Amino acid sequence: MSVEYKLNRLDTSGVGPLVDKHWRELREAKEKGMKVAWSSGPLFVYSYATPNMASHFMAGYAAYCGGRKMADEVLEAAEKYGELRDTCSYHRLHTGMMAMIANDWPVTDPRVILPLPDLLISGRFCTEMSHYMEAIYRRFGVKAVIIELPVARKTEDLPRIEKYVTDQVKETLIPAIEKTSGSKFNEDNLRRIFRDWKETCIIRNKCWEFLKRKPALWTLWDYGVSIAPIFYAMGKPESHAYYVNLLEQLEERAAKNIPAVHPDGEKYRLYWDGWLPWAFLGKFLRLMVPHGAIPISGRYPWEFFPYPEDINPEADDIIHEWIRVLYTSPNRLAYHDGPWGGKEHIEKLLEEYSIDGMLFFSSKTCRMWNLGQLDIIDKIERKYGIPGIVIEGDMIDSSMVSEDQLRTRIEALLEMIDARRR
Amino acid sequence: MMKEFFRYTSDPYRAISEWKDASKKKVVGVFPMWLPEEIIHASGMLPVVMWRSNEAITWGYAHVPSYNCPMNKSVVDDAVKGKLKFMDGMVFLRECLQSQEVPYIIENNACPPFEEYLYLPPIYHGDKASKGFTRDEFEKLRAGLEKFTGEKITDEKLRESIRIYNRNRSLLRRLYEIRREKPGILKGRDILRIVWASMLMPKEEHSKLLEKLISELEKKDYVQAKGKKVFLSGCLCIHPQLELMDMIEALGMLVVDDDIYVGYRYFANDAQLTDDPIGAMVERYFIKTPVDPAKGEVELHWGDELVEKVKKVGAEGIITLLTKYCPPHLCYYPDIKVKLADAGIPEVLIEVEHEIISLEGIRTRLQSFKEMIGGV
Repeated sequence: MSVEYKLNRLDTSGVGPLVDKHWRELREAKEKGMKVAWSSGPLFVYSYATPNMASHFMAGYAAYCGGRKMADEVLEAAEKYGELRDTCSYHRLHTGMMAMIANDWPVTDPRVILPLPDLLISGRFCTEMSHYMEAIYRRFGVKAVIIELPVARKTEDLPRIEKYVTDQVKETLIPAIEKTSGSKFNEDNLRRIFRDWKETCIIRNKCWEFLKRKPALWTLWDYGVSIAPIFYAMGKPESHAYYVNLLEQLEERAAKNIPAVHPDGEKYRLYWDGWLPWAFLGKFLRLMVPHGAIPISGRYPWEFFPYPEDINPEADDIIHEWIRVLYTSPNRLAYHDGPWGGKEHIEKLLEEYSIDGMLFFSSKTCRMWNLGQLDIIDKIERKYGIPGIVIEGDMIDSSMVSEDQLRTRIEALLEMIDARRR
Repeated sequence: MMKEFFRYTSDPYRAISEWKDASKKKVVGVFPMWLPEEIIHASGMLPVVMWRSNEAITWGYAHVPSYNCPMNKSVVDDAVKGKLKFMDGMVFLRECLQSQEVPYIIENNACPPFEEYLYLPPIYHGDKASKGFTRDEFEKLRAGLEKFTGEKITDEKLRESIRIYNRNRSLLRRLYEIRREKPGILKGRDILRIVWASMLMPKEEHSKLLEKLISELEKKDYVQAKGKKVFLSGCLCIHPQLELMDMIEALGMLVVDDDIYVGYRYFANDAQLTDDPIGAMVERYFIKTPVDPAKGEVELHWGDELVEKVKKVGAEGIITLLTKYCPPHLCYYPDIKVKLADAGIPEVLIEVEHEIISLEGIRTRLQSFKEMIGGV
């Protein structure tokens, strides 16, 4: 390596206090007389919009624990409790945390402990998410409301599924939220959140434009750690301020011509598929950056409301509006989440972000996407000549991440890119 | 008559192809575990439940990671090797996280002339929305088959198919009753082959053979078999290895009942014969027992169900067969274990993969289990 590549890290430190505040408020919610909902999947917005209900977003908690290096201890507790290792590590993290509470097991960092929920809400994009809700219900008797959210195979199926999901939400979820919270569902609050959230996402999308530039001014990892403000802290003033600050930083970089990779920008622009490896973000970057490689774009982080213009906070039926965005807006998360729409989505990202190679992260415990990955790589390689590899690991379980395997495969990908450039 | 059951289960690929050649009819593979085979039967084609293959996964690993469901690996491997070419159609479903993506691989690599995918929902609430959606899915299959065959699937044809399937299911339930009354009257591997054959051959032929067999078993002198009575649980989607069934018996245990998929789970419930056959199949789909961890039932507990069944049949312990990388069972298992421990029912966990993980390791575990339940 003749050039010494280093990362010009964007200042994302503002996210730390923001997420800490979110989780602290959640831990204090019961003392303030609030009800607590634990939610997985995109139906989180409904409990989040309920004023006297604190909402815990389960995947966000996993990212939080992973990022703060608190996950391993909780995963060990889950195993001690009887959980089997092949299950989703997010599942084990929650049942492990509940086992710690139930058995009064010692905990090194008390921030991992959350209040027990009054209501469980699962938006069943991932069926395994519902299985961990069911397990919590069986063990602790917490009411679980599980709403089927099928990932669509064909676009023509979307309107029919959208109707089904809307019916379930109105027939089952909203009454359960009203019953648990003791108040009528607050549509005005949902509209307000959508308005504020949309505004923040429009700024976020301006930030994305700086990823399209060559050289890029920031990385997918910077965005990964910035997801919370537009997801489980959506619609909050501090979230908006965070993205205003991010955009200012990027505009300054653009004016001063400061790339994300020192000295002259990245040599390899990579697409990242699958979950972000929350507990190992640094580890992965250390394997890429010395080669001048950085992740630029990815399907999962792009799912968090990528087309804010699609949402209409003034829609007549505001409960349905969010489901419409999921199913029949141009975003169509429910289509892009499956391999059929996923391939189409990836192709678009490859073009927009001028990608040189693809890293498909295959989680050993989350099998949501990994079945179609090999076929998608094959199809894209044939069509565009962009090489791709699969790397195996886990989002938070350190026992499933092998650095040697990662290094070898990442280097192999970069060699493939070089070979195709020659 | 066992010969025919053996023929189908020894080499399903050949047996079904031979049936197809002889009958000049079409064959449709259905992914386990919930698809309403009756609709395909009423279209004049033969529905066969896809199975765990008879050889090691090789080409399939170019499409499916090793840490994925053995059923998925098997079906994909068979398909890309061209072993399923005799299937004129395949029907898949959203049953679990992994199964929902299998058709993507099939479509890209070995797409049959007819392919359908049903978004079958969980049954939690049994709400109007879910039942209506399920009905639409069943109607979608009916319409797709009509288009493919050019033949109308009338309600009358559907009722006839339901009648044929109910008959077969009731005979299989009778076979299980006989096993409960006379443990060991048939070997475990034979019972397994009989149920599995029902998934592969025309139900009409299977029922005829089964009627004869039952009649013989009812008349047969029975000598009390020796062995500790055990209950087999789990094994979702795939059939357990025959060698495993042999090993259980060789170690001095007798399987008296089960809730495995290629077992009681497959034929536990009938559809009612009503004026609305699709509605009857929807109602069958929403029946909550045997508790199905993939279907999402929370009011009933699989562990309670097992305790009750074990007590009812006088089994001395449970052998859990856990299909490797099966999230519905993996997530449920710790709760079952607690329920069984609370009820004082001994249990042993054996993981079942596409290939046998370690026969010797399994033997040791089963031997210890046998000693635990009081055998020597």
